[in-house]
Amino acid sequence: MDRLAVGELALDHPIEARNIERVVRMSSASAEAMRTEIRVNDQGIGCIRLALTNLRCGGCVATIERVLSARADVAAARVNLTLSQLVITLPRLDTDLAPIIEALAALGFPAVPVDSGDVSGMETGAAQEGSVSKNLIRALAVAGFGAANIMALSVGSWAGADGITRSSFQWLSAAIAVPVVLYSGRPFFASAWSALHAGRVNMDVPIALAVGLTLLLSLFETLNGGAHVFFDAAVTLLFFLLGGRTLDHLMRDRARSAITGLARLAARGASVRQTDGNLVWTTIDKVAPGAVVAIGPGERIPVDCCIIDGMTDLDRALVTGESVSVPARPGDNLEAGTLNLTGTIAARVLRAASESFLAQIITMQGAAEATRGRYIRIADRAARLYAPFVHIAALLTFIGWLVATEGDWRRAIFVAISVLIITCPCALGLAVPVAHVVAAGKLLRMGILMKDGSALERLAEIDSTVFDKTGTLTTGTPTISAGPIGAADCAGAMALATASGHPAAQAIARYLDCQPGTVADVDELPGNGIAGRVDGRPARLGRASWVGEIATVPAGADGPLFGFAGEPTVAFALSETLRPGALGAIEALRAGGLRVAMLSGDAAPRVDRIATALGIGEAMNEASPAAKIAWLERRRGEGRRVLMVGDGLNDAPALAAAHVSMAPASASDAGRTAADFIILRDGLEAVPEAWQTARATARIVRQNFIAAFGYNIVTIPLAVAGLVTPLMAALAMSASSVVVIANALRLNGGARPKAAGA
Amino acid sequence: MSILAILIPVALGLGVIGLVVFFWTVQDGQYDDLAGDAERILFDDDTPLMPPCDTVLGAATKDRSPL
Amino acid sequence: MIASLTREDRGAAILITTLGVLVGLLMTAGGWGDLLAVHGVIVMLFCGGLFLLVALNLNAPEPGDERLAAYYDDPTRVGVLLALVWAVVGMAMGVWVAALLAWPDLRFDAAWSSFGRLRPVHTSGVIFGFGGNALIATSFHIMQRTSRARMPGQVAPWFVLLGFNLFCVVAASGYLMGITQSKEYAEPEWYADIWLVVVWVMYFGLYVRTLARRNEPHIYVANWYYLAFILVMAVLHIVNNMAVPVSFGGFKSYSAFGGVQDAMTQWWYGHNAVAFFLTSGFLGMLYYFLPKRAERPIYSYRLSILSFWGITFFYIWVGSHHLLYTALPQWVQTLGVTFSVMLLVPSWASAGNALMTLNGAWHKVRDDATLRFMMVAAIFYGLSTFEGSFMSIPPVNSLSHYTDWTIGHVHSGAMGWVALISFGSIYALTPLLWRRETMYSWQAVEWHFWLALSGTVIYVFAMWNSGLTQGLMWRTYVAGGTLRYSFLESLVAMHGYYIARAFGGLLFLIGAIIALWNVVMTIRRVPAHVPALDYPTGSEAFEPAVPVMPAE
Repeated sequence: MDRLAVGELALDHPIEARNIERVVRMSSASAEAMRTEIRVNDQGIGCIRLALTNLRCGGCVATIERVLSARADVAAARVNLTLSQLVITLPRLDTDLAPIIEALAALGFPAVPVDSGDVSGMETGAAQEGSVSKNLIRALAVAGFGAANIMALSVGSWAGADGITRSSFQWLSAAIAVPVVLYSGRPFFASAWSALHAGRVNMDVPIALAVGLTLLLSLFETLNGGAHVFFDAAVTLLFFLLGGRTLDHLMRDRARSAITGLARLAARGASVRQTDGNLVWTTIDKVAPGAVVAIGPGERIPVDCCIIDGMTDLDRALVTGESVSVPARPGDNLEAGTLNLTGTIAARVLRAASESFLAQIITMQGAAEATRGRYIRIADRAARLYAPFVHIAALLTFIGWLVATEGDWRRAIFVAISVLIITCPCALGLAVPVAHVVAAGKLLRMGILMKDGSALERLAEIDSTVFDKTGTLTTGTPTISAGPIGAADCAGAMALATASGHPAAQAIARYLDCQPGTVADVDELPGNGIAGRVDGRPARLGRASWVGEIATVPAGADGPLFGFAGEPTVAFALSETLRPGALGAIEALRAGGLRVAMLSGDAAPRVDRIATALGIGEAMNEASPAAKIAWLERRRGEGRRVLMVGDGLNDAPALAAAHVSMAPASASDAGRTAADFIILRDGLEAVPEAWQTARATARIVRQNFIAAFGYNIVTIPLAVAGLVTPLMAALAMSASSVVVIANALRLNGGARPKAAGA
Repeated sequence: MSILAILIPVALGLGVIGLVVFFWTVQDGQYDDLAGDAERILFDDDTPLMPPCDTVLGAATKDRSPL
Repeated sequence: MIASLTREDRGAAILITTLGVLVGLLMTAGGWGDLLAVHGVIVMLFCGGLFLLVALNLNAPEPGDERLAAYYDDPTRVGVLLALVWAVVGMAMGVWVAALLAWPDLRFDAAWSSFGRLRPVHTSGVIFGFGGNALIATSFHIMQRTSRARMPGQVAPWFVLLGFNLFCVVAASGYLMGITQSKEYAEPEWYADIWLVVVWVMYFGLYVRTLARRNEPHIYVANWYYLAFILVMAVLHIVNNMAVPVSFGGFKSYSAFGGVQDAMTQWWYGHNAVAFFLTSGFLGMLYYFLPKRAERPIYSYRLSILSFWGITFFYIWVGSHHLLYTALPQWVQTLGVTFSVMLLVPSWASAGNALMTLNGAWHKVRDDATLRFMMVAAIFYGLSTFEGSFMSIPPVNSLSHYTDWTIGHVHSGAMGWVALISFGSIYALTPLLWRRETMYSWQAVEWHFWLALSGTVIYVFAMWNSGLTQGLMWRTYVAGGTLRYSFLESLVAMHGYYIARAFGGLLFLIGAIIALWNVVMTIRRVPAHVPALDYPTGSEAFEPAVPVMPAE
């Protein structure tokens, strides 16, 4: 692997040259389209937010910021290592972004603009006032402040302060507790109210009851000079519950803002030819059927259209998943979202963007996601049973004590409150989120981004895996092989290959290891190849029959050929490159007891070749997106739970339809949005590793639940029997929370891996 | 323990100041990139940065004159 | 140095020093016949000396504007040197008073050299003189570097540094004359206290102004530790030193509080001084210099922020553990005990965080004495915080209170944690600050390390033994219910330990002298070299002491 030296610093990790190219190509867009990603703040300063891959270390951060800031077209650059994002401040709003993105790719950090349509992707520190996570953190801080100070006062009272000291402590505690509960308790009170309003009961109802009753009773005691108050219990309870909730949200925020809203597959607009012949950039919703659009090389087809002028090669992987490019000529229909590779074409719009093939895929995906939404998280399932139980227990305790003490309602309420507090789902509330947060951190260090905790739960349950072929099991960049090549042929092939933008030609150029000859009169013919004069002699590189017009082609030739006029040709064989670690990953999954299958939209011979190479018995070829979904539905009907790994180019809906899904970072935007996990690194080892982590997490969560429930089983009888004061209840609950957190930290176990700090 | 009439308000006051400052740090986005910020002190250059026009979207451009 | 001040700066300096001389004159005249006059003279001499320094160089060429593109490091350099000088002075006094305990005749029959007067010269000298200057100097460095911005002015930092040293000089000279409030770590009298408030407000303002003009949006965690140190010390200092002077023409004042209320205030201050001066501030040093030197980021940055807030909330109430088994109300004592035990959690979080940062860099610790200073400091921090929590439990405290064990605890923290992290930071800072290729002698750094470590260990072991001996002897009863040992007998039993303690301190002092020498020689003898990279630089023969690892 290469080491790039940048200035004085050498980057320590290898850079995948072929990946850079592939990502830049797949995310490419015209200058105008990119420019729409620039946001302008209220000072009129333009910024753009990019998502980076390959970002792993502090040295990377320093390199990127220093190199970019030194450019004249960049005012400032700031990397966020935690989110793997980069914010560039631009000196002018009409800055061309392409050279900047190329510079980043050359440094080894492929970047794609973050979708400006997704508001959460553009939030920054200053503008995040309203976001849920920050409000939770503030509520947590207030609760912590209140808990620490009230605890100090209550320890004093409990340790023996009496008389006026004690009562002034009570008043002081009240003065602190009331605003703290009103501010920090809002999430719980609001949620409980809306649930009750809708006639349901959720976990926040007993919490709101416990906190509210404790506060009110303590206030009553303070006003009446009672001996015991329990402000500490109320506030400490809030603190720990908020802790769990905040952790959950932070984790979700991080995953969401990192992967959603990447540059959309769908073009934002198109260059429409006017009646006077000029091209005008028009937003996509205004491009009407019958209009004529011009599409350049490297751009995505904006709408379903029909070529009227020009020839080109297309990457139709969106539709077919095919790994080879396809020629197109006037009269051919093009689908929105496919990639125009080599030529400039003019095409007549067939239907509006909202009815395009791409739009249909997105609709299919939405439907599939709706079915997955039925999956109810473990914690919520537990909550459904638990909340009523808690209420009933507290009520019965109250009634029981009222009867047993013949009307001492104060004592009865104390005991009932103790029961409410002890049954409060602190540990329960933490059991799952804290394990998920630790797991998410561990996965991130492994190079896997997790969308939310339910994904982890679903991953632990799988019994089968299915892989897409192109772009998932294979890298999508062809491997070239050829027989021995003479020096002259090599120079000639190299000269023509480097002059062409076609991916196969570029692959050939990388394969050949010689100096190119001097070339003149280059003429690239989409669908056929590239012709020119090399060192004075006519030569062609491309399709067999076309090269055969000037050179000698053996019968049955397949794949690209090179030949000088009148000479025998040199044949190149294109084969797919397996992703690193693919074989090891498949074997690891099989060793773990999972069934492995492959679904591909590509043709049978190529599919079978890869299936044999990887030892996969069950492989489906020429599968359309709908066929993939049908396959998954059949498995679901058989009761199997399937993990789908795909890059979403033609299987985004399938990713949404599977029980749980993963996509590589180089996947299409649709794939990234549909998948539950994103693999940030190149190899497929992430798949079995993520699965193992999910199972370990599920184990930890089970243990946490056992601990939390066990603690409840032991303490509830004690509380009902009146042996537990509210303060003790709060402390016991805190202790159980600590146990649960410590257990979750066991997931990290072993030496800390060398990666960006936690 | 009459001295507590001074000590407790002072301690609470300091705590409130701490809380207010904490709120400011949250709002200013001080915790948005803990991994990167831990690395930044290790960068090699030993010269101040020249003030940029703005590095954070939405933040007001502060007066950045050297003195 | 004057040459780097602009004309306005020099004008301001003249004005301030003139005011200082006038105040000194006022003190001398108003306090004539009282010891206050002596302090007035000292103030006049101090300010007058500075006045002359500026006045004689008034017409030196003015600096150009290109200085604004660099950090302002002159005050930091002077601060480092002052810290080392005070270290030697303060530790020398420490050895003297330790020796006095074993050999009382070392008093030479004078009043000024009695134990009671020399001891606070030692405590203030090492805490405020050495520690305070180290904190000020390192904070100037860290606040500029982490903000990537030059500090906002050139007069303010000098005012803070030199004003603070004036406070130290007044304090130390006052002790020798017998001027003291008899409050531990708050001995200076009312006029010195007021002056410190002025200096401190300037310090806080300077810090906040530097952060406000930062070019790096994120405020590194070390700055928060320093800010807490500055702000809380100001509040503590003001509350504890509330006093009524007998007259404005005299040094003597009476505390606004009395009896057990005063005791509580004193130890509320005293322990929080330990918490925020000796812990929070130096944690700021640790969180910057240790990762820098180890060339790795803090193990868990999030944890460092959490333990900052944890320390801030929990430390405030531990003070009464100094007053266990006294007339203080029982519940106040219990409160202090509870929080002292809970405090262990954020403290060990910090120590653990520092040590985990070194995980994977132990070879650097082995090769690089400077980094080793910092590592051992972190270990001692963990040890002494555990010891402190342990000693605040009533049963343990019933044995340790009033014994030498308390002194042993203080010194394991002061020598093992505070001094070692300061020395480590100074060694890390010096070559960069003076643009030198390397320290003058890395072997000397090694020598210093081993002297410091052995000195600390000998001292602490001696005090553990003496303290336990005292405690046990004082609570041994005979069958009839009377004490077995007289106080005098316990004192005699201490003799050997006190010699050992003085010896341990002597080793530590020698180490400090070596440090001062090494730094001075670095400034004078090592060839200048502007490092291209802010790496820790070389060992002997200008080769890197530790191999330069690529960033991970």
